[in-house]
Amino acid sequence: MTDTFRNQVAELLNNDYTFGGLYATKLSGSVKAVFISPNGALKILECQVQSGEAPSIADLVPSNWDEREAHDLYQISFNGHSPLRPLVEHDPISDHWTVAVKGSDVYQIAVGPIHAGIIESGHFRFHVIGDRILFLDTQLFYKYRGLEIAAENKTLHEGKRYVERMCMGCSVANALAYVQACEEIIGYIPSAKLRILRTVLLELERLWNHLNDIAAICAGVGMSLGNQIFLVLSERIRRLNFSLTGHRYLSGTIDIGEIKPVLTADNIENIRSELESVRLRAKEAWRELIFNSSFAARLEGVGVVDTAQIRRLGAVGPAARAAGLKEDFRAHSTKLDYENFEAVIPENPKGDVRSRLEQRYLEFLQSTEIIFRLIRKTDILTDEETACEPKPLGIGITESARGRTLCIVEASEGRIERLHMRTGSYANWSAVAYAAVGNLLPDFPLINKSFELCYACSDR
Amino acid sequence: MIVLIRRLQNFRKEHRTEGPGNRQSLAIRHCDAGSCNGCEHELNLLSSPYHDIQRFGLSLVSSPRHADILLVSGSVTSGMREPLLAAHSAMPEPKKVIALGNCAIGEGLLGNSELTGLGVSQLLPVDAAIPGCPPTPEKIVSAILSLAKKS
Repeated sequence: MTDTFRNQVAELLNNDYTFGGLYATKLSGSVKAVFISPNGALKILECQVQSGEAPSIADLVPSNWDEREAHDLYQISFNGHSPLRPLVEHDPISDHWTVAVKGSDVYQIAVGPIHAGIIESGHFRFHVIGDRILFLDTQLFYKYRGLEIAAENKTLHEGKRYVERMCMGCSVANALAYVQACEEIIGYIPSAKLRILRTVLLELERLWNHLNDIAAICAGVGMSLGNQIFLVLSERIRRLNFSLTGHRYLSGTIDIGEIKPVLTADNIENIRSELESVRLRAKEAWRELIFNSSFAARLEGVGVVDTAQIRRLGAVGPAARAAGLKEDFRAHSTKLDYENFEAVIPENPKGDVRSRLEQRYLEFLQSTEIIFRLIRKTDILTDEETACEPKPLGIGITESARGRTLCIVEASEGRIERLHMRTGSYANWSAVAYAAVGNLLPDFPLINKSFELCYACSDR
Repeated sequence: MIVLIRRLQNFRKEHRTEGPGNRQSLAIRHCDAGSCNGCEHELNLLSSPYHDIQRFGLSLVSSPRHADILLVSGSVTSGMREPLLAAHSAMPEPKKVIALGNCAIGEGLLGNSELTGLGVSQLLPVDAAIPGCPPTPEKIVSAILSLAKKS
């Protein structure tokens, strides 16, 4: 059994599949791993848990966090994963979850869970000599709210409220992944009109997030002018969101099989004129930023994660693309409207803070173009829905502002048996820890901001 | 850069919110006790050119030792209970607590009831509550200013 599962994983990897996530099922006593083919097709491998044990695949794929989570929440031991450190559970004995400090002169700095700024709660342990970071251990899940478990036995419709509360910054991406999974379960295929609306909402979410991330990177080097200008632009998108949907973060706009009247003629004109104006201002500010040499000097070569490490760690989204990996799930989002989509990457992707900053700007421009294209074609659409065969298990994948977000729903008789969400933030935290190594402690806030991951999305 | 500085100056003239005439000063320490990051996104805008709360004598400080007000978001998860209490006890007297957002007030959608509390008031005396999911930056600013007026 053990060998079969590991062999199956190895075979998929040989066929260029990438790891999408691993979770413990509720009722069937098994572990399931999701794999994604180069053209976006999904494959699920299942392995029965025997006497509380399952084989670890953490040496083959980036399933380190997934296995530790399944251990803490579903008491599954993963053979070969040693030491199997706690992830969700916070062991009061720090030796059980920390890595021992080694070497002379090396000491440890513990930060958090409450940080110095306005930021979510989480704990970091830096091993340092002076200002040089040798190792970083992250301990998150201080904000673990058990939302997946709370959603169990709820109807598919009720479940969406729990998914939306996982993270406000990614509320569209998460809700959409969930809703797509539910629509697979009920056998519903969205109309062309609904696809357009959902794509516009997902891109609006990316716009305010990316502008906010650029502002945050500016703040990370104390460049307050850039921070203020880009905060204003991000806020303008949030105000546009409010005028379109009644919610600044677009919460409540995605529902199973439902089209909200967002893209009216008046709204379309508002979107067009506001985005054109924001785009103009962003271009102007970007030119000023990149030609500022003291700003640039703080970014280049800092927090590098190269392509090989991105693959090893399973990092996704802008962080992966900034290292030159041209992977974006929007290219495979057949249930949305991304015709001829091609991922953008910087001309010279280095995987450093500078590249991650530029990646946000390039994607900001691309997202505005996607929205311009979509709002031009709204009047020629049908809202004809189609049906397909219902299934007991549905998977939805979206590309959030932080990367590929995967939602799995197992249901029976219209009620949730198991809900699992693996967001772009969850996938990327180990890349943050890797990026910090070798850098200076004063650069860590900057490196962290250049990923701008949500704690809420990971902790759930 | 000169272009951007001019833009910012003009923008602030046109858009910034009106504040109170009287002068006071309050130091605010934020603590995320298990939020969805919505309250934090809104809080970050308090120092944007739209609001620029330092004009009103309000500052967001980095240590509870420097704070007059503890601004708490989230429903207080089991993991954040102790850190929240530690932050509160580190604050000098007199101190106030504000529950920020529906979760902190105890009216949000909660997760597993064994893990999430029923809001800040179960643990600490709450002097003011700012409802909303998330509350807008405008609401946050006006609630803090009106608490400042009362005290």
